[in-house]
Formats: sequence, structure tokens, C-alpha cells
Amino acid sequence: MKHTSVLAALTVAALAVLVALPVAFIVLQAVFPHFGEGSLRSAFGGWPALLSDPAIPGLVAGTLRLGVEVAAVAACIGIPLGVLRGACAVPRAGLWDLLFLVPFLMPPYIAALSWIMALQPGGYLEQCTGLHLGGLLFSEAGVALVMGLNTFPLVYYAVSRSVAASGGRLAQAARVCGATPWQALWRVTLPLALPAVAASLLLAFTLAIEEYGVPAALGPQAGVAVLTTAIERRLSDWPIDLPGSAMLSLLLVALALAAYALQRAGMAGRNFETTTGKPAPVVQGTLGPWRLPVVLLFGLAAALACGVPLASMLATASTRTLSGGLRPGNFTLENFSSLFAAGGEAWHALSTSLALAGGTALLAGALGFMAAWCAAGRRVRGAALIDMLALTPAALPGVVVGVGLILAWNQPFWPWTPYGSWAILVLSYACLLVPYPVRYVGAALRQIGPGLEAAARVHGASAWQGLRRVALPLAMPSLAAAMLMVFAVASRELVTSLLLAPAGVQTVSIYVWRQFEQGSVGMGMAMASVAALASLALMLGGLTLQKRALG
Amino acid sequence: MKHPLPSRKFFATILMGLSIGLCAGQARALTVYTAGPGGLIKKLAAGFEAKTGIKVDVFQATTGKVMARLEAEAANPRADILISASWDSAQELDRRGMLLAYQSPNAATVPDAFKSGTYVAQGISALGIVWNTASGTGEPADWSDLTASRYKDKVTMPDPALSGASLDLLLGLQAAQGEGAWKLLQALKDNGLVVSGPNAQALTPVLQGAKAAVFGAVDYVSYASVQKGESIKVIFPSSGTVIAPRPMMIMKAARAPEEARRFVDYVLSEEGQRAVADAWLMPARQDVAALRPLFKDLKLLPQAATQPGAREAALKRFSALFGTH
Repeated sequence: MKHTSVLAALTVAALAVLVALPVAFIVLQAVFPHFGEGSLRSAFGGWPALLSDPAIPGLVAGTLRLGVEVAAVAACIGIPLGVLRGACAVPRAGLWDLLFLVPFLMPPYIAALSWIMALQPGGYLEQCTGLHLGGLLFSEAGVALVMGLNTFPLVYYAVSRSVAASGGRLAQAARVCGATPWQALWRVTLPLALPAVAASLLLAFTLAIEEYGVPAALGPQAGVAVLTTAIERRLSDWPIDLPGSAMLSLLLVALALAAYALQRAGMAGRNFETTTGKPAPVVQGTLGPWRLPVVLLFGLAAALACGVPLASMLATASTRTLSGGLRPGNFTLENFSSLFAAGGEAWHALSTSLALAGGTALLAGALGFMAAWCAAGRRVRGAALIDMLALTPAALPGVVVGVGLILAWNQPFWPWTPYGSWAILVLSYACLLVPYPVRYVGAALRQIGPGLEAAARVHGASAWQGLRRVALPLAMPSLAAAMLMVFAVASRELVTSLLLAPAGVQTVSIYVWRQFEQGSVGMGMAMASVAALASLALMLGGLTLQKRALG
Repeated sequence: MKHPLPSRKFFATILMGLSIGLCAGQARALTVYTAGPGGLIKKLAAGFEAKTGIKVDVFQATTGKVMARLEAEAANPRADILISASWDSAQELDRRGMLLAYQSPNAATVPDAFKSGTYVAQGISALGIVWNTASGTGEPADWSDLTASRYKDKVTMPDPALSGASLDLLLGLQAAQGEGAWKLLQALKDNGLVVSGPNAQALTPVLQGAKAAVFGAVDYVSYASVQKGESIKVIFPSSGTVIAPRPMMIMKAARAPEEARRFVDYVLSEEGQRAVADAWLMPARQDVAALRPLFKDLKLLPQAATQPGAREAALKRFSALFGTH
């Protein structure tokens, strides 16, 4: 057990530096309004004004409603597709997996902008068909749909991995005992996938309440006001209200932790262990006559989630002017060619982003795996604390994590600080994204019986060996999926990058944002498409390598 | 993987920083925090380095992000020079005693309204109506024209809470017309005006034709779009508009004050001001030509009285009217 506690202590220490430190400084800033200047006067000075602000209840209600709606949309699309993918031999499964990663590669703000340019009056849809869907897009349902389409892959991956790992074999046993296919699905496969469903929906909910890009782009016209936009407003123009934004962020974290407590209470006392160590072939059902409808369903989801925004992005990138529309004379490759002509700046931004994302995926993956392993009922003291700590950043808006990191790492007493170098970006991405691997791996580990590692230990393996040779390989599919997502999100993260990037360092998202800000929407969209394709190619390469290594 | 590429560069930068720190007497790198436009500061930094050999590290974001970083760093400041898009921010930092006094010799031809003992305008932008010429709605001539039924559901406006210049317009209209300004906003709201995000976000729907006009857009971005061939026009309303000077200041905590003074001199030199003009801003110096109408040629709204709390009150009333939070 000694080694186990050493591993746990190391994990806690790493999480403390990565997550607890910036969060603590945000709490300090919320409590002491003059903390940024290094003064502790008038503690709790801002709270009465905040709590009596009549707008706050509406913002909290709006945030909760949006979070639930987005989780519902993600569940409606992600669960059926995930179960189909996990339980049946879906044709071209690898292709769908890949396509559903695309929404993660698009910055939410850009995705929302693409939807606007596709559906608003005068948008690409109207230019092509004479119809526009502005009414639907600029409504609360529209915001929830766009955000749900961006987040459903979270649910899809978690459910499909979980069902594939467990459901097939037991469902077949149910069939042998006389259950109909539907009964096997409802009574065996779905209940067993419950931890994955619950964990991914929790993640979808927390990401939705933390999301800034889509509500900022669509919200004003849709009449949707949420906490993140209110936080961003406090940091948007002079005078800056650091304490106000810190206090609102704590409110957001409280919402996320409440959801977490609900999920934990719902899961308590249940047993989902299905991986017991007996060799079992992967059993997947055949689709039979349902083959075509299922493929159409996957195609529809892919067309909506990545086809529309990607097409809109490419259309904007390959037209000279927005007001010129989709006329033959307006098409050009200028945006792409000038991207790579202008002094290599775009190349540099691209390689910086990919390197930072790679580093983040490794760091968040390693730490997330350790945290999930500690938290998944290994009788380590403070398991719940680790789990909670690892979820908190999912509810923190990027801008607040950014401010927290500056407050934490710009103090004069540090002998060395990552602030002012690229390391601060890796820290911020890893802090924001560590919840992905923790949720994914945690759900996978919950399905592994404790007997496996115990058997390894009995046969003389150390705790470390048991971890590396038993738990890690079994959790690898989930960990790999989570790391791919971390890579995807980190390669296009905007808000903290903008705030923390050291002078002279430029990432893809900063480059795109600067193009927009200068009115070069076309160049911005060109860079966003190139970056998405480059990340996709890299991830594809990674997947192939991994498959070869495993198999 | 392209791992080694940037990191090697970063290490080189760190080493360079160390070696520069060790060589006492040598000029230090200058850290500039600035609001957009990005092309302008890149040009200024390159020009300054070519002239003086002093490297300029630039952090460029929105005024809000720049200020947030400045506030969060207050315990251990890093910026030498700050260029903001909001004149108020300079006044407030000056009141707090955070600025270094400096009058550049090159500021001689900058009008008195755009300089003080501690800050000076880098350039000036103006607000106007940006109208899509292909919208078929007829060209507006004044703010109140946008309440006409032909602009029903066709007008956007940047959020004054996100754009300082937009708030200045609100205060200017209020100073000129009193309650009439709020009647105008109410009429615009009844006509379907949508308040949406910062400047660029209000402009995009007008480019694609979903909307016909922006009420109070910052002009230089629009001029750049016109240059690229977008079918829009910048109109300065006949009843007057506001201008937004962009203050440049040296921080008292600057680690390289001497270099900072030289940078301010450079930005206000003829070469620096020409770069400002090329970014479609009005140069602060009156003896450098601009590519666009100057504020001397514009009809301006009266300057709003700057009593404390006026901005907050106007913002509050605006958010209550349009239901923005």
C-alpha cells in the first residue's frame, strides 16, 4: 500500500500545482477585491453588491437551462450513435470516429460564426436555396443546438468505448437466455454503460455552462444571457472588474460541483465491473436490414456537426469579399496563398500550436490517468477530493483560469516562474483540459474488476507495475480518445492563449483572432481551416501509429 | 511532430534575455502592451528596432484583455508602454499615479486635447454609420434615419459595455440631445436594432447583407474592409459623431524607461505617424497626412462632461433598455 500512497501523493501534488493553485488565487481575488495590487484590505467587500444584483438570478437560471439543454441535445445524438457504434458492426466505423472529432478542432466562436454565416438572412444557405434559418439560429433552441452539435462527440466516444468494452458479451448472454434484442439493450447494455453516460453528460453540462464563444456570438440576438458572457463583460473594457469576474466564476464552479455531487450520489452503491480478466472476444451484432438507415443516421449527424460549419468556413476562406457572396467571380485562393506568403508567421503559429497541444495532451493524459486511477475506489484517502479537484477546471471559464494563473505565477517571490514563457500556455491548457482524461479513464476503470490488479500484486508486481501493466492497457482506448480530444481542443484554445501568450508567441487561435479583428474574415477562416486539417492529419497519424503498436 | 522547432526558439529567447540582462549598459528589450490593430504595432515595432536596435516585445489583445493582464500583474508589473483604445483608461491610470511623466519633442504638433503630461494620442479613430451599399435600403445621412421603417430589423450596434468607443458615442449623444438620445435609442430598439458584441461582431452581418447598417462602428476596420472590396460605406452622420483618441503612455514601473521614451518619440515621428495613417487611423500629429477624413473635417458631438459615475449610469440605463447583462 505504501507505493500506492506515494503515487497518490505525487498525483495530488501535481493537481495542486496545476489546478488548486490558480483556483486558490481566484478565490483570494474574489474575497479580497484589491488582491491584484497585493493588498488584503476590505475583505468580502464586493459580495453584498453582487448578491443584491437583480440580474444574477436570471443569469444563473439561464446558465443552468442552457447547460441542461446542451446536455440533452448531446445525449439525444450521442447515446444512440454511441450504442450503435459500440454494439454493432457499423460500416466505416473509423471514418465516423474521425469525423466526429472535427467539431473539437473548430474553436467554438468560429463554429458559431460559421453557423451564422451559413444560416442568417443573406447567408450561404439563402444564397444557394433562397431559404434562411435565421429565426431558428437566433433563438435559445438554436444556441443549444449549435452547442450540442459541438459537444455530442464527448458522449458518443464515452458510450461507444464503454459499450464495446462490456456490453456485447453480456448482451449476448442475455440473448442466449431468451431476451429479445431490445430487452438486451435496455436491461444489459445501457445500464452497463451508465457510468460512461453519466460522466460524459456531466462533462457536457459543465463544458456548456463554461462555454463562452457560442453564447457570445449568438446570445445577443437570441436573447440568451449566461454567466460566462457576464464574466467576460467585466473583463472586456475599462474599467476592469477582476473581483466581480472572480466572484461570478466561483458561482459557476458551485453549479458544476452541485451537478457533480448529484452524479456521484446517483452512481453510489452500484457496480459496473465487467472486465474480470477472462479472455473474451469483442462481440458486435450485425445490422442486417438496418445497415442503410444506420449509415444514413451517422451521415446526417456528421453532415450537421462538421459538414455545415466546415463548408461555411471554407466558403468564407475562398471568397474575396463577404458582401460578394458565392458568385463565380468572387472565388479566390488568395487567402490561402497570402497565409503562407506573409513571412512565415502562419507556419510559426501553426507549429507552435501543434507543439503546445502535443505537450498538453501528454501532460493532461498522464496526470488525468493517475488522478482517475487514484479516484476510482482504490482506497486512497482523499479520492473524492482528487476527483473533485480534477473536475473543477471544466467549470472555469478560460479567462478566469488565465487571470488566476497570472495572479499565481506573477508573484515576485517565485525563484522561477513559467509566466512569460510558453510553459504558462501548457499549464493553462492542461489545467482546463485535465477533466477530459479524468472523466473518460475514470469511467473505464470503474468497469475493471479489482481482482485484476490484485492478482498482479499477488504475483509479485509492485503497485507501479500493476498500474502500468494492468490498469493502463485496459484503460488505453478511453485514455487515447481523451488525449486526442485534449490535443484537438488545445490546438485551438483562444481565451487563455490571448491573455497569457508571452510577448512574441503566437498560436493559431491568436492569429485567427487578429485577422478577424483587422476585418480579414477570409484570412482568419483560411487559417482556421488549415489548422483544423493539420491537427486532423496529425491525429490520424497518431491513431495509426497507436494501432500498429498495439496490434 | 514539430516539437523542437518552437521550443528551441524559446530557449534561444530565454538565453538571449539572460545574456542581455548580464550585459549591463546595453539597451534592454522593450515590452509594449497594446490594443489593436495588430498590423500597425508590428510595423511600428519593426521600424523602431531597425532604427535603434532595441527589440520590442509586443502583447496585443483587446483593450479589455490588455487591462485585465495589467491589473492581474499589478503586484509585479511587466509592461513598459501601454497603448489603449480608451482615453478614460489613461486618465484613470494617471489619477492612480501609475504613469511616468514625459512630453515627447515630437508631440509639438499634436493638438492639446490629445496630450497631457503623462500620455499622448498615438492615433485617432471616429465612429460612424457603416452601411451596406448593396442592401437596397437607401443611404442614411444621420443617426435618426436608422429609425425609418426601411431599416426595420436591419441595424446592429456594438455593445457599449464591450466597446469603449461605443459608450463614448452614447455619452456624446446624451450630451448633445439629453433625453432625446434615449428616445432615439428606444425608437431604434422598436425598429428591431440588435446589440451584438464588440465592433467586428456587429460588422460581420452587415458585410453578408443580413443587416443593412451598423449604428456607431469604429471606422478604421471598415475602411480596411472597403479597401478589400467589400460593398460598404462609412458615413459620418450630419448631426455629429464622436472621436476616440488612442492614448499611449509609459508606465511608472517601466523597467526600461529610457528606451520607452525613445519608442514614444518614434511613434510620434513622421515615419511612425505615417504607419498610423496607413492603418486607416487619423495620425495624432497634424502635419502628417491621413488617407481618410480628419476630425477637423467631421462635425463632432459636444464633449461629454466627465463627472464620476456618468459612464456607469449610462451603461446601466442602456443595459436596462436592451436587456443586456
